[in-house]
Amino acid sequence: MYVELKHINKHFGNFKASDDVTVGIEKGKLIGLLGPSGSGKTTILRMIAGLENPDSGEIIIDGKVINNVPASKRGIGFVFQSYALFRYMTVFDNVAFGLKIAKKPANEIKERVHELLELVGLSGLEKRYPSELSGGQRQRVAFARALAPNPQLLLLDEPFAAIDAKVRQELRSWLKGMIQKLGVTSIFVTHDQDEAIEVADEIIITNRGRIEQVGSPYEVYSNPKTAFTASFFGQPSIFKDYSNFRRFDILENAENAIVRPEFVKVTKKNEVQKYKSSAEEGVVEEVDFRGYGIELRVRVNGVLLTARRSFDQPRIDVGEAVDVFIYRMFVTQGDTATLLENKSLREPVVVI
Amino acid sequence: MSAVTQSGLHRDTKGSKLVRYSLIGISLLFVFLMLILPLITVITEAFKQGFAVYSKAVADDYTIKAILLTLEASFFAVAINTVFGLCAAWSLTKFKFKGKKILATLIDLPVTVSPIIAGLIFLLTFGRQSPIFPLLQDADIKIVFAVPGIVLATIFVTFPFISRELIPVLESQGTDEEEAAALMGAKGFTIFRRITFPHIKWAFLYGVVLCAARAMGEFGAVSVISGHLRGKTNTLPLHVEILFNEFQYVPAFAVASILVMLAILILVARSVIEHKGRKK
Ligand SMILES: Nc1ncnc2c1ncn2[C@@H]1O[C@H](COP(=O)(O)OP(=O)(O)OP(=O)(O)O)[C@@H](O)[C@H]1O
Ligand SMILES: [Mg+2]
Repeated sequence: MYVELKHINKHFGNFKASDDVTVGIEKGKLIGLLGPSGSGKTTILRMIAGLENPDSGEIIIDGKVINNVPASKRGIGFVFQSYALFRYMTVFDNVAFGLKIAKKPANEIKERVHELLELVGLSGLEKRYPSELSGGQRQRVAFARALAPNPQLLLLDEPFAAIDAKVRQELRSWLKGMIQKLGVTSIFVTHDQDEAIEVADEIIITNRGRIEQVGSPYEVYSNPKTAFTASFFGQPSIFKDYSNFRRFDILENAENAIVRPEFVKVTKKNEVQKYKSSAEEGVVEEVDFRGYGIELRVRVNGVLLTARRSFDQPRIDVGEAVDVFIYRMFVTQGDTATLLENKSLREPVVVI
Repeated sequence: MSAVTQSGLHRDTKGSKLVRYSLIGISLLFVFLMLILPLITVITEAFKQGFAVYSKAVADDYTIKAILLTLEASFFAVAINTVFGLCAAWSLTKFKFKGKKILATLIDLPVTVSPIIAGLIFLLTFGRQSPIFPLLQDADIKIVFAVPGIVLATIFVTFPFISRELIPVLESQGTDEEEAAALMGAKGFTIFRRITFPHIKWAFLYGVVLCAARAMGEFGAVSVISGHLRGKTNTLPLHVEILFNEFQYVPAFAVASILVMLAILILVARSVIEHKGRKK
């Protein structure tokens, strides 16, 4: 493990921002730190960078405990949420700042800055001030500035938060490519699950100062271990009592049932469907147009579920009675989540 | 931009021409009566008996001494309040500590308290009836009825000017840029010089100008503690008062005109600074 956090605790006054955080990060990986607002993501990043001290626990980088190493000596590049570009310095001076502080010779600085600006595609903008750049350009300057002193570890706090949706999409793949090319171990914070899934090699999920789960995007999405993770991803419908859904095993002490849209298949009464016989009866309450297709809200056994259909399927109207088949659901017991499959999936199919 | 006027208000909401012109008229009339007219009076009274009398009054030994003392007191007030203002503004905006609210409130005290009271405070603290007076006397330090007292009183009344200008700018900046610089290995003073100061420069200069203006014009606090010793503890405003009380009207107005000119100079400096600061 290249970066290791061991039993980190951090309070702000009485508020526990980090609660026994223990996690390891492999060298060269791009890690997404994902969690809702206020879950302690920035706090973790700032402690690794040395901008904040943990109350207890160890921070280890490359085998050395660095709790007492000052921030400036940790060799970490940091991209701030607001970029924190030096607004009274040109793009060139922003990127050159760390090198000047390190007293590198002038020609070497010049070379490195030009190399970096070329890398991030900003050659020719050396003389601009941050206020004269677009959001995406600022982000790239911040990235170049953080990389200038050749950090071994790059930390990015919500690098795309301040950028509009279209550019954000481009920058995501750009950043992912860039970091892969450079091979620098990186941790980026986000509260956007799509972003984490798309960009990260591995996702660390935080909630209320604790680490909920660590794993590949596929792993954390499809195999959530905790109640929080199960309910965090997708667009879940969450309800208490699922005993009316007869095709699912009943677990003891079950708290919540969680059904994601992709677990639900809605068909019209006259449509052919493999598991027609074990489908539930539902009534459509809402039909919304989305870019990718149609989003439905269907009431089944008194529970409102979200489901999706594509445009090429026959039209469904509000108030229509439909068949609803639920493939699977997560059921939480205390802090853990269990995946339940519809029993019909295991039974021989009877085609009518 | 067609229906929306420059200030962003829709034309209809600005009322009729009559309202507009009468409001502007009232403002102009007021400024004329309250500011321009008195200023003109000061200048004309000063030159009433010709330039020779004016220059004699201005070149008078006591006047020169008063000018020098005023400049000295203003210089110290600005210098010390610069240091204090930077420290206070910095700690109030960048640190969290107990008593922060109290400090912020106390800084404003000098503007809310009457200058006379300020003078009295120093008179009572360092004067004959004070318990530390013997100590000062042993050390041969004179504060009351001496230059140090005047400097102290001036510092007191101009106390909040610089910090009050700095606090909003520092607050709006946040700490990100400084943290970014620190992460790259910059030390405290480098961070201040390269990151913080460029940001607060214009607000700072503006504060210095306000502080200087107030320091030069201060009358109340200084009056109490000075003892009015001509040529020793007389500042320009005090000198004007003395001349006036002695019915020496022309010299009184002549000296006053110096203050007016200083004020105009400062106004110009202020506009330049404001203009430059806004451009950034
Ligand atoms: N300096 C501080 N003083 C007091 N409380 C703080 C401080 N920094 C963070 N907190 C608190 O700690 C909690 C975690 O904050 P943190 O900034 O780490 O959240 P986050 O996960 O980054 O959230 P966001 O997605 O909104 O940025 C929050 O409830 C916040 O109010
Ligand atoms: Mg944050």
